[in-house]
Amino acid sequence: MARLLEYQGKALFNRKGIPVPEGRFVQSVDEAMNVVHELGLPVAIKAQVLSGRRGKAGGILFAEDRDSLLQAVNELLGKRIQGSPVEGLLLEEKAEVQRELYMAVTADPSTRQPVAIFSPRGGVDIEETAETEPAAIFTTPIDILRGFYYYDAMDLLRQGGDLESRQMLTLANLFTRLYQVYREYDCKLAEINPLALVVQGAMALDARVDIDDDALARQTTLDIDFAEEAGERAATLLEIAAATIDEKDHRGTVHFVQTDPDASYAKTTGKIPVGLDAVGAGTGLTIMDELVPLGYYPIDFCDSSGNPVGSKFYRITKVIMAQPHIEGYLFVSCVSSQQLDNAARGIIKAFKELYPRSGGRPNIPCVVVFRGGWDDVAVELFREHGISDGPWIKVLGRDTTEKETAEIFDALYREWKKETGDL
Amino acid sequence: MKVLEFEVRSGGTIRIELEKCESCETKACVKMCNTQGMGQILELKDGVPALKYSLEEVKRGACTEDLGCELECELRGNKALVITLPLPELEEYLEGLSEKPAYLREA
Repeated sequence: MARLLEYQGKALFNRKGIPVPEGRFVQSVDEAMNVVHELGLPVAIKAQVLSGRRGKAGGILFAEDRDSLLQAVNELLGKRIQGSPVEGLLLEEKAEVQRELYMAVTADPSTRQPVAIFSPRGGVDIEETAETEPAAIFTTPIDILRGFYYYDAMDLLRQGGDLESRQMLTLANLFTRLYQVYREYDCKLAEINPLALVVQGAMALDARVDIDDDALARQTTLDIDFAEEAGERAATLLEIAAATIDEKDHRGTVHFVQTDPDASYAKTTGKIPVGLDAVGAGTGLTIMDELVPLGYYPIDFCDSSGNPVGSKFYRITKVIMAQPHIEGYLFVSCVSSQQLDNAARGIIKAFKELYPRSGGRPNIPCVVVFRGGWDDVAVELFREHGISDGPWIKVLGRDTTEKETAEIFDALYREWKKETGDL
Repeated sequence: MKVLEFEVRSGGTIRIELEKCESCETKACVKMCNTQGMGQILELKDGVPALKYSLEEVKRGACTEDLGCELECELRGNKALVITLPLPELEEYLEGLSEKPAYLREA
């Protein structure tokens, strides 16, 4: 999923004729002070981050004059909101809101079709409303072959209750435009929350637009960096680099996400950051479960599937090892049907390039576990290339459990720490 | 210098210095490609490795990039074969790092 920042989502809304407040994206105090000449005062100053609950985290401020604008911009730029640095702001004219509503089109996996959602309770978390007041959420499925028409939207809005007919006409028109955004830009979610009723009609005060990753190749006008699911933050440079591995080559996949990009979580919880590559997501989770109680925290989650070619393993190993904070590395396969000698060759080639002076023997604790197709060949390759003889690597075969893997890694790490002190 | 060089699907090249292959006793790359390798794209022609398929077919995916040819050549051959698999975005990331990865630090 590729999530757009609010100002990018609003640009799409604008293209489809959904009214949004007049606003500008800025990245410096100077830009902000210039922009306010055009917009006038008062303005809303909104941190452009991907995380939700931005308002509650202090990411939205208002300014009535230039002094308070200067103060707000200085306060927000560079601030971290739920771990994401604020690198840009949306300055918008402040809307006079009469009432806040909720409107969205999203994909419903249970029916395998889009669903239009409306709620008269806008401005709050829709998941919260779904729990506390489920009767205040109204939905209708959309047949993509038929489309979503004005009268479909009217039917849905009517269920919402106390809207005036003039308001319903405006909102129904807007709803069909939101569906156009959803379809045209291959969205997984196109959401307006809050959707404000104002004197002039209605306008989107916020925009949440998630694009389907699989459609990014044809969404060339959006200028989005492709990366695996990164949650409510922008993809890191390393994730973007990893995503290019699958971009040109369909033969197997490697999914890479940095679970703790700067290792701050590991460090604040007293854990030792390690890099992890797993064959099988379940194995990745299981080995994490075994590592964490022993004091280690995998700061990436990587899963390969579909029998990737050796070159993918080579590239992803280099990506994982490029994380500057890791103090160890694990490769663990499930009992896999993958051809594990391919994986072994990829890792060996990467290690030999990363450690040319030692012939591929790593300088941090590494445990590689091969279980599945050609696992004996994989183990033998490490021996033949002299890497297994390295002091800080253990190459294990199919009889090894996840628990044993973690314990062996732990023992190796302790020995490494004792011998080397650190790097 | 006689060289066989071809591109692979994922973006990269395989370069074989054929003069070194002439004196190679094992021709380990060809054996590897045809036994454990899935692509089976190499054959011996005039005593040196040659492609069984066109450059276009190899680039389209006939070469399965198992990397076996390079590692076997290094281990049992004359170190004549080099596979280059660039990842420019990773290089860009590394250039911007303020802290070096562990492999660049002394043990």
